[in-house]
Amino acid sequence: MKVVVNDIELDLAPGTSAIDAVFAAGDDVPYFCSQEYMSPIGACRMCLARVGSPRKDRDGNWILDEETGEPKIFWFPNLMATCTTQVTEGMVIDTRSEAVKNAQNSMVEFTLINHPLDCPVCDKGGACELQDRAYEYGDGLSRFEFDKRRSEKHHELSELITLDRERCIHCKRCVRFFEEVPGDEVLDFIERGSHTYIGTVDAGLPSNFSGNITDICPVGALLDASSRFRGRNWEYDHTRTTSMDDATGSAVIVDARTGRIERVKAALNPDVNKTWIDDGTRFGHEYVDSPDRLTRPMVRRNGELQPVTWPEAAAYVAERLKGLSGKDVGIVLRADSTLEEGVAALALAEKLGTGQVDHAPRPAGSLLPSRPATLTDLATADAIFVVGDVTEEAGILDLRIKDALKGVTPPELLPHGVPIADLRLKERMPRRAEILTVAAPYRVDLMRHAGASHLYPAGGEAELFRALTALAGGGQLTDEQRAALGADEAAARQLVDRLRSASDGVLVVGGFALARREAAEAARAFARAVGVKELLVGPMANSHGLELLGVLPSHERYAFPGMLQEAKALIVSHLDPAKDPDVAASLKERELLVVHDMFLTETARLADVVLPARSVYEKDGTVVNLEGRFLPVRAAPVEAGQAEDFTGVVRYLGEALGERLEGRSVRSARRVLKRRLELDLAELPDNGVIPRLKARPAPKVTTREAPAAGGNVLIAPSMARVEYLHRNPHLNAAVGGPKLSVNPADAEGLGVMDGAEVRLRVGGVWRDAVVRVTEAVPAGLMTLPALPEQGVGLVQADLGSLVVDQVRLEVAS
Amino acid sequence: MIELETTTPFFQDKQEVVDEILSRYPEEGRRSALMPLLWEVQRAERYISEARMHEIAEIVGITATEVKGVLSFYSTYHEQPVGRYHIQICSTLSCALAGADEMYDHLVNELGIVNGETDAEGRFSLQKAECVGSCGTAPVLLVNDTYYERVTKSRCRHLLEALRRDEMPEPWRERGGDNEGAEKATPFGGAEGGEA
Amino acid sequence: MSDQPAASPQGILSRHDERYQVTMYRRVGVEGAHALESYRAAGGYEAARKALTTMTPAQVIDEVKAAGLRGRGGAGFPTGVKWSFMPPPDGGPRYLVCNADESEPGSFKDRYFLEDDPHQLIEGMIIAAYAMQVTFGFIYIRGEYYEGYQRTWEAVKEARAAGLLGQDILGTGFSFDITVHRGAGAYICGEETALMNSLEGLRANPRLKPPFPAAAGMYGRPTTINNVETLTSVVHIVSKGAAWFAAMGSEDSKGTKVYQVSGPVKRPGVYEMPMGATFRELIYDFAGGPTVEAKAFIPGGSSTPMFPWEDRFLDMSMDFGTLAKNGSMLGTGGVIVIPRDKCIVDALYNLVRFYAHESCGKCTPCREGVGHWLPRMYQKLVAGLGRPEDVDLLENVVGNIRGTAFCPLADACVMPVQASLKWFRDEYEYLAANGRPKYQKNDWWQA
Ligand SMILES: Cc1cc2nc3c(=O)[nH]c(=O)nc-3n(C[C@H](O)[C@H](O)[C@H](O)COP(=O)(O)O)c2cc1C
Ligand code: SF4
Ligand code: FES
Repeated sequence: MKVVVNDIELDLAPGTSAIDAVFAAGDDVPYFCSQEYMSPIGACRMCLARVGSPRKDRDGNWILDEETGEPKIFWFPNLMATCTTQVTEGMVIDTRSEAVKNAQNSMVEFTLINHPLDCPVCDKGGACELQDRAYEYGDGLSRFEFDKRRSEKHHELSELITLDRERCIHCKRCVRFFEEVPGDEVLDFIERGSHTYIGTVDAGLPSNFSGNITDICPVGALLDASSRFRGRNWEYDHTRTTSMDDATGSAVIVDARTGRIERVKAALNPDVNKTWIDDGTRFGHEYVDSPDRLTRPMVRRNGELQPVTWPEAAAYVAERLKGLSGKDVGIVLRADSTLEEGVAALALAEKLGTGQVDHAPRPAGSLLPSRPATLTDLATADAIFVVGDVTEEAGILDLRIKDALKGVTPPELLPHGVPIADLRLKERMPRRAEILTVAAPYRVDLMRHAGASHLYPAGGEAELFRALTALAGGGQLTDEQRAALGADEAAARQLVDRLRSASDGVLVVGGFALARREAAEAARAFARAVGVKELLVGPMANSHGLELLGVLPSHERYAFPGMLQEAKALIVSHLDPAKDPDVAASLKERELLVVHDMFLTETARLADVVLPARSVYEKDGTVVNLEGRFLPVRAAPVEAGQAEDFTGVVRYLGEALGERLEGRSVRSARRVLKRRLELDLAELPDNGVIPRLKARPAPKVTTREAPAAGGNVLIAPSMARVEYLHRNPHLNAAVGGPKLSVNPADAEGLGVMDGAEVRLRVGGVWRDAVVRVTEAVPAGLMTLPALPEQGVGLVQADLGSLVVDQVRLEVAS
Repeated sequence: MIELETTTPFFQDKQEVVDEILSRYPEEGRRSALMPLLWEVQRAERYISEARMHEIAEIVGITATEVKGVLSFYSTYHEQPVGRYHIQICSTLSCALAGADEMYDHLVNELGIVNGETDAEGRFSLQKAECVGSCGTAPVLLVNDTYYERVTKSRCRHLLEALRRDEMPEPWRERGGDNEGAEKATPFGGAEGGEA
Repeated sequence: MSDQPAASPQGILSRHDERYQVTMYRRVGVEGAHALESYRAAGGYEAARKALTTMTPAQVIDEVKAAGLRGRGGAGFPTGVKWSFMPPPDGGPRYLVCNADESEPGSFKDRYFLEDDPHQLIEGMIIAAYAMQVTFGFIYIRGEYYEGYQRTWEAVKEARAAGLLGQDILGTGFSFDITVHRGAGAYICGEETALMNSLEGLRANPRLKPPFPAAAGMYGRPTTINNVETLTSVVHIVSKGAAWFAAMGSEDSKGTKVYQVSGPVKRPGVYEMPMGATFRELIYDFAGGPTVEAKAFIPGGSSTPMFPWEDRFLDMSMDFGTLAKNGSMLGTGGVIVIPRDKCIVDALYNLVRFYAHESCGKCTPCREGVGHWLPRMYQKLVAGLGRPEDVDLLENVVGNIRGTAFCPLADACVMPVQASLKWFRDEYEYLAANGRPKYQKNDWWQA
């Protein structure tokens, strides 16, 4: 479609907005209310332009200009908001004439009359769309001589977000975000006209994605409460990297200043997270700057851990290893270690000659599906079946599923990137809830958006999938199978039919099903039976990659749990198994315990050698997300003392052992990976790639099914990672501590009230939690967020161990 | 468990009312019941508290924030209790040309409250309104939902006296124009007539 | 109802024309007219019967087109054409909305229809619904019209009980029902897309167009929105024929129209006249003329630019084309007479305050300009604190708002301001220069 922008002729797809036409022409037009991936609404009127188009006469011929003989341009009588104007054949857009300039200047003037102009004390200063546009398009003069609107300056919308009502320019981005993206309408305009303000009566802004509004607010009205007043924009070092918070590999920008992380913002990756991240990803970084971080290696001497240098620590380990047979050594990494760290671990294991190498938490089922779905497949699916609590496991999955409900395909990128105004998106679009079915052992958030929900008995994933597969096979169900569905049979049949008849169906398998091999296999069989793609949600950022790389024991006996019992020497990175007193007791029997961690954990306290570890924000490396996408991780300039990632550990140990091991640095690890994967990870683009891998390492282990699951507490995924929650003060305040969710009937039986602080031993581990009494969990079941070494699934809690803290009830007088 | 919620839900014993309101709208329009439900609460309680917003949100299936966003958009839903006699005075041009501004000053003097206020007794509250569609019979006062039109000084006096006695006089119906004679204007209560 | 008079080649332009008779407003003010019994006794629902039993939907639309009926809600869009925009039925729901939000200052005609003759409106809606094959209707009544709301609900219930609404109306197989919805005080709800948002339980900000209501209106389904008077007119077009309707009025504006007069005139109120009658006829012959010296009049509700009190304007025909040609609009036909002693700046301050109060806040020029800046500029002038430059500044700011807002509300505010500056700039300048108005009367309230 031919369009002319200020004399530049372009060829654009029908449906393009005029504002995108202007940007596609390399030109600029100011705007505030439009926002990538959200509906254009034409509210700020900043993008006004003079627009005209040729017309056809009754016979379908262009009406010609008598003088030029060209099609005559009929100008719209008023200036048009380009964001809400769709281009038509031959349209002419003018953004430079006097009339347009005057309008732009007037809109800047109107926008500023009630704006406090407190840029010198505003966090957004230097990165403010209003500031920039006012400079470019305003004439720097205010003729407004009256009082500005007075309003609240520091209004806490939630623990995480602070609102300055005076700065708000009513672009509605934040309000639209909540409605259009997560579908949690917890923020709205209140009042009308010039009294309109942003507000909520839903305490705490209950949404898992609230932080995104601080990214998209064009001014300093909505600010991340955790980073407020921490620095000016130009003082921050911005590091574009990949979040290691969960298995989606969302793009983020880590803003650091003087060696501290001040905030994490979302970055654009059109194929993964678009421009959104969940609140766990955004606000879950404060632990990195905790004062109790380990900064130096330590070695136990005379019963005390004493600071040493890295070579000293390494020499000590090498010395102690001498007396041991290599195969007695166990090495375990946490599942958000990079591929490069995985290479290092494998090299060390090889050098020592041990098959006892693993990563944890690791699901029993494989994460490498035969028909993998991408996130784009998910976002464009016409039937989705989710088993698990994916919102908590990997928040972006939740949003991409909601994309699918809208039924709008991801936009084509234009020369300037994502369209600024995608006219296919509308406010309050109808959602195709019927394409989504969610199954879980308790009521999960995503069920609010699903056409159908299954509440199956906890631990019954294998049975659920088998029953569904039986339905798909046309069979009759037994009573047991029917009970396993967690929904009535007709609904289950509908699900099966919908998936089978879908052209782009996706099965999303979360942690509960993957925790047991039996269930994971049943899920795979079901996907095959109905012919849908699979998206398997690993527990951590690089679960997929570490399995792919084969950071796995040579036999299941040598897997992490076995290792804890049997290895004579243990090297543990970022895991804290000694939280379980029984494990702690057994660890004391090990001949050598080396702990690589950020904090002096229970396990580190028992260690012979403690090595300071880098946080996920301080490493360079690569992760593979749940789609199989290789994504670059880059270190932010954060002060981390002498902390090293696992490649550093291997470098020092290798030196002490007298060998330059492969994987002794990120570069060295990448050389190995290049050889093995034929992929140059140093060249990885920001948005990552899903390579067609020739060699896929055969799994080294034949997994042994864990004893049949059973128990009364379901260890559940959590967006806010509980192992660091108390070191994340803002997130902790917002979340209110790890929750033990209990059905009202059970709460009564246990004699606990909502909000009670309790301590109990769950799956061997002593856990502190806050009771949440809720109908969301069925009677007879409780849920508690997972610690990394636990993984998810049913465990037994010793209810006799329950300690209820003195509860202080504040009764309003 | 301890019961912390102290207010009884308004609609607890009014399921038929809720059902009737919901039945007015097509199935896809459950949310349309929002405004009638707000009216229901306001007519009974003279304002809509935050607890009611949450309650209505639940019925309609939206968030309380959205309920507040909607109700605060309108001029005639109140978030604070108004008086038993909520007096609205139209202040727009046709009424101003018939003396609405002077009438307002008069009411302020008489009632001791200004626009937006409720008196200490909770009897009267006063609100300036924009054109209420009584331009031909200006000036006009609305007492709760009742129009009192062509309010002269003496009619105004009578009206306030009656309200102070807790009597709501019959409105004098006027049409003006063609139909002036159809239903002849009579002062309320048939009492002495301060005629226009 | 009554027999169809022969169409006149001349056309009926005046209420003094013997052939003219009050039609729509005949029963307003009549005791008991709102009851079904009374309406039926006057021949009510015969037009609906005629349409449903003797005409096809397309014929009804053609009749309305032939009558030349234009919307009475303000914009004057040809009603038959609007109806024909409805896509063909696809089995899903389709809606008809009656706009009874009547909030334009100076307009009060719809209120009396609702209070005194709601069945006439319901009959019009049945016919319209049949013509467009609509399944469900809403009457959106502004919150203040509580009596109208109750009367209309009663009428709907009566009509349902009599088989005039609901399933299988009059045994014709056509089904249609109506819900009455009460607004809560917001002028913008008169704007059709804001009205739909309000009716859907959303904040009543106007929606983006396209999509137009006929394509995606209520709940995203095809919808047509018409004013009370428009729908009422349809009853008589069907009963008396398009020719009868088209016999009245001027070239581009046909039929009978309900005008309103307010301000200082002897008999303010509502007058039904043929379109094309003059302001003079309305104001002098029927409303009895001004009671005090007048200097200007607003022709069709507060949003329409005013005219000075001059013969050339008083003798203008009250139709869409003539007013548009003269730089104003017919609007709702609500004439407001402005007396000489009302300072024009003060009068406009009153109106600007109205629009400031009613701005929905969605778009910048309206929220900040109309909602915040203009009333303050006026307040300053009226308080006698203005300087001569302030008049130019006002004119400039108003010019910057013109044509830039999301919906017509902002223009509805600034066009009257511009007209007042055009005709009465001297009063502005006098006030700005002297700190007191050129004309001033202190007490407008009658004893
Ligand atoms: C700000 C604004 C207010 C309006 N108010 C009303 C109103 O109160 N009543 C009405 O019938 N139309 C009103 N309209 C016009 C409606 O948008 C719409 O055009 C009309 O209801 C269509 O009906 P009609 O075709 O029968 O005239 C208003 C328009 C605008 C822009
Ligand atoms: S708070 Fe920010 S994002 Fe929200 S409407 Fe105001 S300016 Fe826009
Ligand atoms: S009106 Fe805001 S970007 Fe177009």
